[in-house]
Amino acid sequence: MREFMKRREFLKLTSAAAIVTGAGATLILPAGFNPARAAAKWTVGFSQATTLEPWRVQFNKDIKKEAEKQPDVNLIITDGEDKTEKQVADVENLIRQEVKVLLISPKESAGLTGVVLKAIDAGIPVIVLDRNVDTDKYTQFIGGDNKLIGREAGKYAVELLGGAGKAKGNLVEIWGGMGTEPAHDRHDGFHEFTDKEAAIKNLLSEQSADWKQDKAYDIMTTALRNNEQIDLVYGHNDPMAYGAYLAAKDAGREKDIKFIGIDGLPDEGVTWVSKGELAATFLYATPGAEGLRQAVKLLNGEKIEKTIVLPTMKITKENAPEILKANGL
Amino acid sequence: MSALRLLSRTKLYWGLALIFLIGAMSSPVSSSGRNIFLSTGNLTDVLRQVSITGLVATGMTIVILIGGIDLSVGSVMAFATVVSAMLLTQAGWTGSALLGIPATTLVAFVAVAALIHFVFKGLARGKGVAIGHRADIRLDPMRGRILPIAGGLTVACLVIWFLSGQVSSKFGVIAVLMTAPCVGLVFGLISGVIIVGGRLQPFIVTLAMMVGALGSARLLAGQDSAVLPVYTGSNATEDFELLRSMAWGVIPVPGLFFIAAIVIFGSLLKFTAFGRYVFAIGGNEDAARLSGVDVVRVKLSAYAISGFLAGIAGVLFVAQYRQGKPDAGQGLELDAIAAVVIGGTSLMGGRGGLVGTLVGVLIFGLLSDILQLHNINSNLQLVLKGLIIVCTVLVQERNLGQVLAAFGLARTKGEVTGGTTGRAGQRTAALQQEGNGGNP
Repeated sequence: MREFMKRREFLKLTSAAAIVTGAGATLILPAGFNPARAAAKWTVGFSQATTLEPWRVQFNKDIKKEAEKQPDVNLIITDGEDKTEKQVADVENLIRQEVKVLLISPKESAGLTGVVLKAIDAGIPVIVLDRNVDTDKYTQFIGGDNKLIGREAGKYAVELLGGAGKAKGNLVEIWGGMGTEPAHDRHDGFHEFTDKEAAIKNLLSEQSADWKQDKAYDIMTTALRNNEQIDLVYGHNDPMAYGAYLAAKDAGREKDIKFIGIDGLPDEGVTWVSKGELAATFLYATPGAEGLRQAVKLLNGEKIEKTIVLPTMKITKENAPEILKANGL
Repeated sequence: MSALRLLSRTKLYWGLALIFLIGAMSSPVSSSGRNIFLSTGNLTDVLRQVSITGLVATGMTIVILIGGIDLSVGSVMAFATVVSAMLLTQAGWTGSALLGIPATTLVAFVAVAALIHFVFKGLARGKGVAIGHRADIRLDPMRGRILPIAGGLTVACLVIWFLSGQVSSKFGVIAVLMTAPCVGLVFGLISGVIIVGGRLQPFIVTLAMMVGALGSARLLAGQDSAVLPVYTGSNATEDFELLRSMAWGVIPVPGLFFIAAIVIFGSLLKFTAFGRYVFAIGGNEDAARLSGVDVVRVKLSAYAISGFLAGIAGVLFVAQYRQGKPDAGQGLELDAIAAVVIGGTSLMGGRGGLVGTLVGVLIFGLLSDILQLHNINSNLQLVLKGLIIVCTVLVQERNLGQVLAAFGLARTKGEVTGGTTGRAGQRTAALQQEGNGGNP
């Protein structure tokens, strides 16, 4: 009997707590949600794939910063939490909210094409950012070109190893996610240049650190044990290049190795380059600011291009401090 | 015990030895002719690499032994990395300090009070006072209540004083090592309370905690920081480097934590009443309850220990990889469960032990190292690891005859032949388990 009472009390208590927090949330959330909503002329919806990666965080920062400059725009950002189903639901929700323009950065192409078509059918112009969908009915696509960035990185790697025709050295490449398109593009572009050099030796077969600093650290630790001479490390993103740097540093060999990364986020890659830890990083610009600017253009009745490719930039020790300063770091 | 039986009992160790042998024989050789796999540097790398999974697997073993499961360990570890990184790099009363200091104080109070109470109970028992579940009632109030509470309060005040002193500057290594694990412990305790109080399945409760802790970690880290970098010497105190250094120049410090956890909790399971209760509850919970075991307290402790060790793992993660991040421990719970099961602990509870887990974790670590030394492609590595898990567990749970019999290839010789650790003896009553305590 006592056990039973205990259980009932426990259930009562928890359900009471749940009701109180639930009620509180429903009261507070809509009230404090967005005071600008009434004042703004246009509601623009942006469906982000995930906010757990630093690049995505920067992406959101960029788009928010641009939205502040546009008084007519009320921006709603949703977070797909790295799940296709969640992002589809987000977009459906934005369609129901009757946004004037839909910006979407899809988690993956195939899974989100359907819902993008649904938005277009509902008469909402769609601007696709970063990763494309399997249709050409959208209004605009804005993204970087990973192959191009890979080529730039490859060119610079050859330069660091002695220049075209006489480049020589042992190369470690750390892959991003194995099944992802950006990783393959960054690989292919890079090797268009390094494979031309007969004296550049690829030490690792496809080793993936899944874009993560900690996994790259572990791969590099073993690579350092296994190879007495490593000259250059190419990480498909900056955190992996930095993870490899840390492993080399802990082994006391960071001075002999050059590290190249991709992404060029101010508080990651650019910071590490300016400290001299990475030799270079190549900007993979977020389409956040540009995307919102194009949306405003569209809402003002201007015509916009079908595709915009964002340019890359080589960031080395020379220009890193300026970029840091421009970003208030 | 016949030789064959001994061989069968110790087959797990033979597995480890076999993997070690394969590693040593097939290892690439450096230019100076040294075997890379066997070099101390490589072996200490392996120890360091497994220590985070190992700490989590240690807690997981205890939870699995009581017949539970803890899926929240990865998220709890991630939460601890965020707490540690914030405490190390941000001065003042941040969310982490506001959360961490009360948690640590509470844990310190309860732990010290319980310890003093326990010691007096032990002394009283020595004097011939009645032994048993209700013995503490006969203690006089001075020693039974007042002294433990006073002692607990004193220590709690000391903890508050020490940690508050660190808030204005940034936390040092000792303060972080106190705070983050205690935060983890509170998470574990919450899971435990819900499981015991609501009489719910541990699977679903810890699954909810896994999601909830991930969300909390992201909330705590703030919207704009997917990663909190920790640069010792520039944005964090230098003494934190201690946690990734080599003790006496040979053993990596994270490895020391792992080994210490195995030794401490291994002895707890093997030599104390608590350990007996753990096996008893896992074997047959109702029988244990009817025999007067305080099931609630033991269960709560198990989940609390699991959370605590996940918290320590979080601190070590920050030290090694110089970052705290909410998605740090993704998939960690599955690695830990795999290591525990390879180590011979039954997912049904009541059978297994920490030595097995140590071996399981080492098998996993050595395997990854060998594959990496041979430069096997990442995708193929995953396939091979999956195969090895299945094979090891098959060898653990069955003898060859049974496996072949299942496919109609051989006749079953019966359970006893070859001294199998099969299922026959597994379901015996809980109190019988006390006698042999399962595997070492």
